[in-house]
Amino acid sequence: MKGHFVLNRAHLSYWLRQLRKDADLIGPLRSTDGDIIFSSIENIHDIELDCPASIPSPKEFIFPQKEEMFRFSDKGVSSKSNGERRVIFGVRSCDISAIALLDRFYGELYEDSFYMDRRRNTVFISIACNTPDPTCFCIGLGTGPFLKSGFDIQLTDLGNRYLVQAGSGEGLKIIRRFRHLFQKPEKTDFDDQYEAMLSSQSGFEKRITLETVRQKIITAKVEDSFWESVALRCFQCGGCVYECPLCTCFNVVDWKEDKDKGVRMRLWDTCMFKGFTKMAGNVLPAEKQIMRTKRWYFHKLLYYPEQFGKFGCVGCGRCTITCPGRIDMAAVANKLD
Amino acid sequence: MAGLASAFGSGAMTNSIEEIDNARVLFVIGSNTTEQHPMIAMHMLDAVDKGATLIVADPRKTQVAGFAQIHLRQKSGTDVALLNGIMNVIIDEGLVDISFVKRRTENFDDLEKIVRAYSPDVAEKITGVPADEIKRVARIYATEKRSMLFYSMGITQHITGVDNVRSCANLVMLTAHIGQPMTGLNPLRGQNNVQGACDMGALPDVYSGYQRVSDPKARRKIGNAWGRKLPARPGLTMIDMFDAALSGGLKAMYIMGENPVISDPDSSHLIEAIKKLDFLVVQDIFMSDTAELADVVLPAVTFAEKDGTFTNTERRVQKIRRVIRPMFGAMPDWKIISEVSKKMGYDMGYRAPHEIMEEVALLTPSYGGILHHRLDNFGIQWPCPDTSHAGTPFLHRKKFAKGLGTFNPVDFAPPAENTDAEYPFILTTGRMYFRYHTGTMCRRTSTLEREEPECFIEINPKDAGRLGVRTRNRVRVLSRRGEIVVNVLVTDRTPEGIVFIPFHFRDAAVNLITNPAVDPIAKIPEFKVCAVRIVPLIPKPGERQKSLYNRKEDIKILLELYEEPKV
Repeated sequence: MKGHFVLNRAHLSYWLRQLRKDADLIGPLRSTDGDIIFSSIENIHDIELDCPASIPSPKEFIFPQKEEMFRFSDKGVSSKSNGERRVIFGVRSCDISAIALLDRFYGELYEDSFYMDRRRNTVFISIACNTPDPTCFCIGLGTGPFLKSGFDIQLTDLGNRYLVQAGSGEGLKIIRRFRHLFQKPEKTDFDDQYEAMLSSQSGFEKRITLETVRQKIITAKVEDSFWESVALRCFQCGGCVYECPLCTCFNVVDWKEDKDKGVRMRLWDTCMFKGFTKMAGNVLPAEKQIMRTKRWYFHKLLYYPEQFGKFGCVGCGRCTITCPGRIDMAAVANKLD
Repeated sequence: MAGLASAFGSGAMTNSIEEIDNARVLFVIGSNTTEQHPMIAMHMLDAVDKGATLIVADPRKTQVAGFAQIHLRQKSGTDVALLNGIMNVIIDEGLVDISFVKRRTENFDDLEKIVRAYSPDVAEKITGVPADEIKRVARIYATEKRSMLFYSMGITQHITGVDNVRSCANLVMLTAHIGQPMTGLNPLRGQNNVQGACDMGALPDVYSGYQRVSDPKARRKIGNAWGRKLPARPGLTMIDMFDAALSGGLKAMYIMGENPVISDPDSSHLIEAIKKLDFLVVQDIFMSDTAELADVVLPAVTFAEKDGTFTNTERRVQKIRRVIRPMFGAMPDWKIISEVSKKMGYDMGYRAPHEIMEEVALLTPSYGGILHHRLDNFGIQWPCPDTSHAGTPFLHRKKFAKGLGTFNPVDFAPPAENTDAEYPFILTTGRMYFRYHTGTMCRRTSTLEREEPECFIEINPKDAGRLGVRTRNRVRVLSRRGEIVVNVLVTDRTPEGIVFIPFHFRDAAVNLITNPAVDPIAKIPEFKVCAVRIVPLIPKPGERQKSLYNRKEDIKILLELYEEPKV
């Protein structure tokens, strides 16, 4: 089949080392406390391939938590480009689905140059998930565990080898450059991939389709008392928003470094805070927590499908891991289902 | 600390956070847990989901009180009466664990004598909590075996702070809710390392691991290790130090990581004291209000720039690791102190934090087995006497640290300041979610600053109606010591007759008006109760309210920045 290759497991680190020569290689690492974080790779063997979801999601590499937009001083304005080439390895299918939607959010209606500069210079190599976490529910949303499209390169772990699929021109390019590493796939490779997919699908503990929840909300079957009970448990940590691979809110602030110079920054922000929509005269349109809780869920469950035809949730389970009040997307969906 | 030490022989959370999940009764008194200890509140909600009974005693209707089956709204400063009332019911109805009281405790008879006077009806008169509620709480708390008691600043920041803690200790001993998993008396410490600071002897009367200064053996042991004879007299508490500075008995002060100008009561008195000092050193990570008064400011590094350990509220010593290089020439605290000491003629000779930890382990029985290389896997809970010990998840198993547990019966004493016709409201202070202490750190974060830029006063709708004020009106709040101007927030979170102001704001520092009266033993100031008067400041029609928030400086700088460049 076109765009399909086989890579011997023993050759993976060689390939990554070659890729690192002209791009920053980023991948999942396990910190000393056991957390999984995406970071620049110094030693290829540090990469964690069999690990739970990273916290935070890899969206921070194309939409950083804190980003310098430009510097200003009495001499004028200067900005630097974000054109550094990067290969991000080991991303999960759900995060790839999220990035595909982020691309539309930041590139369709208007083009966000800060995002797109980074995005154009980044290639993602994702790994289909053979063993989902207990918190995962991408299977019900079609955003994982195995993707049919939307990726640059998708690897499937078949034990001693990987089935490699190229999904974009950029992806194909970096496979072709090292053509000697890749073989043509046999029928057994596809059979094994299918087998892996079946076993992965049966490994999901959560079966959630958000469609029933959406239907219930648009037919006004969900009463405010329900959202009140959800809002009551919100500690206002903002964790759900910061960890969500699809939350896109930011705030712009000027930070003065000295009397005559400063930086304009954009920072992640969260709609869970009441000051997020603060207006002149200190008016707070969403002063009550229930309004903000509803806004977040409605955005993901109603407005995203209206605008993009897809839910604003990819089932990565990060809000489930993060929320101290246990009112994450999966919990809400379970209660409403 | 002092209250717990006299009852059990050591002061810390007796049980572990993990155990909360499986407790059956959670009695939370004087703690705004969801806002101030969210990770612990998470476990509490998990327990509630599993069917545990949550009892909250707090005058304010906090978020955690929203989950409580029973919410007792006692009048501020009447905790002893409330707890004595509960114990009265327990004794009266025969719910005392007699075998535990006989085997493990002493002085029960004295307790009984005092508590007898606090029948639920008497307690109701003092606290305003209905007698039936008191009876219900007593029965639920005493009859369930897995009952955990939690308290925080709402208990300690009173002139009767030590008494309050003693009452809590009496209650857990009376019902044998100690020395077993999922029981115990659990003070919640709000800061990442306040437990660690206490453990290391950052208190005037103890060395590390609560070895008493007055104990000649401990003094000799530590003196030998340091090669110096140590003074036998305990030091001064913070409040005493400022008093001494004011009277000229204290000439120099070295303040580390504290901003007492905002955080301590009656701050005008305190600033006066600081100005009288000959020499003030402040060591902090950012410039603070206190540092502005200092002769020397020593820049310290943040948590991300240093190695070492933090000890959290459940006595867990955890390792922290440096992730970024120290910025702007700042140094870790241990290094600054060593360097200062060297210049003063005593070379401590430490080269890394783990060497200090070794010394701690050598000289501190409860930290005996706590060394850096053992802490990689989520840390160790002290006491941990040697390197083969795995740590202690709950204390006082089989035997209290001091042998027998002592009942310290206490009588109710009213707060230092009562309301009267001139000052009719009780002011209680506390914290809020988006602020941390005096804002030395959090005010530098634009998002947090945006959430609550101005100080407010919570007033009950009924009181607000009588005063004729609405939300966002401005009021003057006067006490016998001073006054501040704040915005009104009308809410039923605060009961009638009580108003609440968070203490985080420098533009309206509530500690200008709080009462500096202190607990006679622990010297903790009475932040939670003082009498105030409220005077509305309603602008005349057509007049605009001025912002409390000082933007003048910022705007001036911005205007300069955006000036048209000369061509």
